[in-house]
Amino acid sequence: MDKYKIILFLCNWGPHAAFQALQDNRDAIPSEIHMVRIPCTGRISKSLLLKAFEKGADGVILMGCRHGSCHYGTGTETAEKNTEDTRKIIETLGIGKERLKFVTFHPDESDLLLEFLNSFTKEIASYSHTHVTRSKDPEPWVEKSIEEIVSKHDVFACQDCGKCTSACPLALTGKPFSPRAVAAAVISGEVNDESVKNDIWSCLTCGICYDRCPSAVNFPEFIRDVRCYYKNREITGQETHGGFFQSLMRTMTSSDLKPTPWSWLPEEIKTDSNSKVLFFGGCAPYFDIFFREFLGVKTCNILADSLRLLNFFDIQPAILEEERCCGHDLLWSGDRENFTRLGKINADRIHQMGIEEVITSCPECYRTLAYDYPEHGIELNFKVTHLYELLENEINKGAVQFKKINKKLTIQDSCRLNRFENIYDQSRKLINRINPESFTEMQNNGKTSICCGNSAWIGCDSFSKALQVKRLNQAHDTGSDVLVTSCPKCQIHLKCAMEDPFRENELKIETMDLTSIIAKTLRWE
Amino acid sequence: MTNIQDNKKEVVITGFGGQGIVLAGTILGKAAALGDHRESTLVQSYGPESRGGACSAQVVISDTIIFYPYIKTPDVLVCMSQGGYDKYIGDLPDDGILIIDHDLVKAKRKVKEFYSISATRIAEELGRKMMANIIMIGFVTAVTKIISMDAAQDTVVKSVPKGTEEMNLKAFNRGSDYGLSVLKGREKKAEGRTGAVS
Repeated sequence: MDKYKIILFLCNWGPHAAFQALQDNRDAIPSEIHMVRIPCTGRISKSLLLKAFEKGADGVILMGCRHGSCHYGTGTETAEKNTEDTRKIIETLGIGKERLKFVTFHPDESDLLLEFLNSFTKEIASYSHTHVTRSKDPEPWVEKSIEEIVSKHDVFACQDCGKCTSACPLALTGKPFSPRAVAAAVISGEVNDESVKNDIWSCLTCGICYDRCPSAVNFPEFIRDVRCYYKNREITGQETHGGFFQSLMRTMTSSDLKPTPWSWLPEEIKTDSNSKVLFFGGCAPYFDIFFREFLGVKTCNILADSLRLLNFFDIQPAILEEERCCGHDLLWSGDRENFTRLGKINADRIHQMGIEEVITSCPECYRTLAYDYPEHGIELNFKVTHLYELLENEINKGAVQFKKINKKLTIQDSCRLNRFENIYDQSRKLINRINPESFTEMQNNGKTSICCGNSAWIGCDSFSKALQVKRLNQAHDTGSDVLVTSCPKCQIHLKCAMEDPFRENELKIETMDLTSIIAKTLRWE
Repeated sequence: MTNIQDNKKEVVITGFGGQGIVLAGTILGKAAALGDHRESTLVQSYGPESRGGACSAQVVISDTIIFYPYIKTPDVLVCMSQGGYDKYIGDLPDDGILIIDHDLVKAKRKVKEFYSISATRIAEELGRKMMANIIMIGFVTAVTKIISMDAAQDTVVKSVPKGTEEMNLKAFNRGSDYGLSVLKGREKKAEGRTGAVS
């Protein structure tokens, strides 16, 4: 059996002296312990902690200075919070929270330190290895050549007219970015130029350019494929949050891992494991833990309210206990290999349950399941329905009404739903049924709606912020007091912009998911 | 042979001439006889009615032979016009079922079992006002269960003009879906659950 691997992130200051004393005395430090010396525990982000597990660690210790003795003042507190959140996340992920510990030692506590290392090593041995087994495929994944990508999306059809740039939300916030220029550069063989790489990674893939293009060049998918081409050649983009979410999704590709994303589900919500209908939730449980400290988003409420609405219409759906992320962000950040792996696991598990219809309230899950899985050779024996479609049908049957809401509403469209002909106006139909004080569209709405500023957890910069501020100003211009969203990520990104301490009052607006509004106001007649 | 007629239900459908009241009655009766293999009779009143006045169809459905096709005290009264309501409401006993078109009839009398549907408005939404009767049949089938759903759908398809089957079936389903929703809503409300959250 393989030896256990325990990563010890060791602070340079207090505990390092203690550790060094052990080394000087030639004390037997367990050989499972792999020490990484760091300047301060406060700089070890959630992403670094998770990545240790992703790369195969069986246990991780974050070791810092005792309270009050942190060399930089706040390192210990920050490390405590990061560890707490990461512990919750790895617990949900099925790794087990007890494998990650934050401990503190004074420089003179070498005996205590050794004692701890021995006992933690024993503890980890009692849990055995984690189920994170990211084996390499026997046949390495090879992305198409640039020529093939260009011809697949018929990028040559670009007429250089510039309609895309004039509509592109990034270009409109002042970023020197032009879809047609990217297309021209890639065609003329400049794909490895730094500026082209930057542009490819900063595109929002919102699809407004595709909508405007007179030659119908599918720019978002072209960008996505070039990203896959890059990733395949080890050219990486600027992953946000330290690449935490990509790491999370890659970890989920271990098929033996048993995540428990539904453990929080309130008791009054009824699910039925024999049902032929499955509700696919998405990553909300992870978002809520990750953004707990900073944004305080409660995206799990969207899932709970979706299930409550299904229950309201006497649908008791099954849930996939070991549900994994759909993989949307892996695919759109260029990791086709792990996306396909994740997709296959999800599809297999859903097929094993004999499911005939999958319902989801997340726009990205919808697009990925309904469209990207089949496109990547993952055959589905079930139908994928977006919750809005189901609600519209059920509400249309009648005998229901909506309680009046004393709020003025406006809506932020999600890019992924907005580009689907069959459901792009579903959110409008529903919002016209509910009974608010008023509903006002923003300046950019419907098909011309602009992105929330970020996509697939890559390339967040000052222009993303400018875009979010612009969007929030548009929302305020409507005079509304609630910004309705369809996608949990729109909520996360726009809330992030509202955290600006200097413009707080100017930007703050209550955000609420459409599903939750419906759940709160829908009544039997 | 027994004199008691088993499981007998008497239905009066009233409305304006031209609303398809008689066709609705015909569908109801045919579905019971041909679809559900029971006995049924239809008496239709026309004459001045067919030129726009109050008009009615009287349908009796029973498991055994029906001796008398005229209806004195209906079990179910379906009203698609105010005139029809005014004329027949007095005949309806307190334990009878009253069903009205919500937008065309104002029901003043309180009966124990009361249902309403905006059949004409839904028909307008679907594109043809004249389908209100089919929507009403769907609704009546769902809430009263006098005839079976399969028989009703089958008869609707066979009774409407060629080429309009699909449209009429859709209308029927809108009516029956609404009826089922109403029943479900009442059931939930009785359990004290009115909304999705509370």
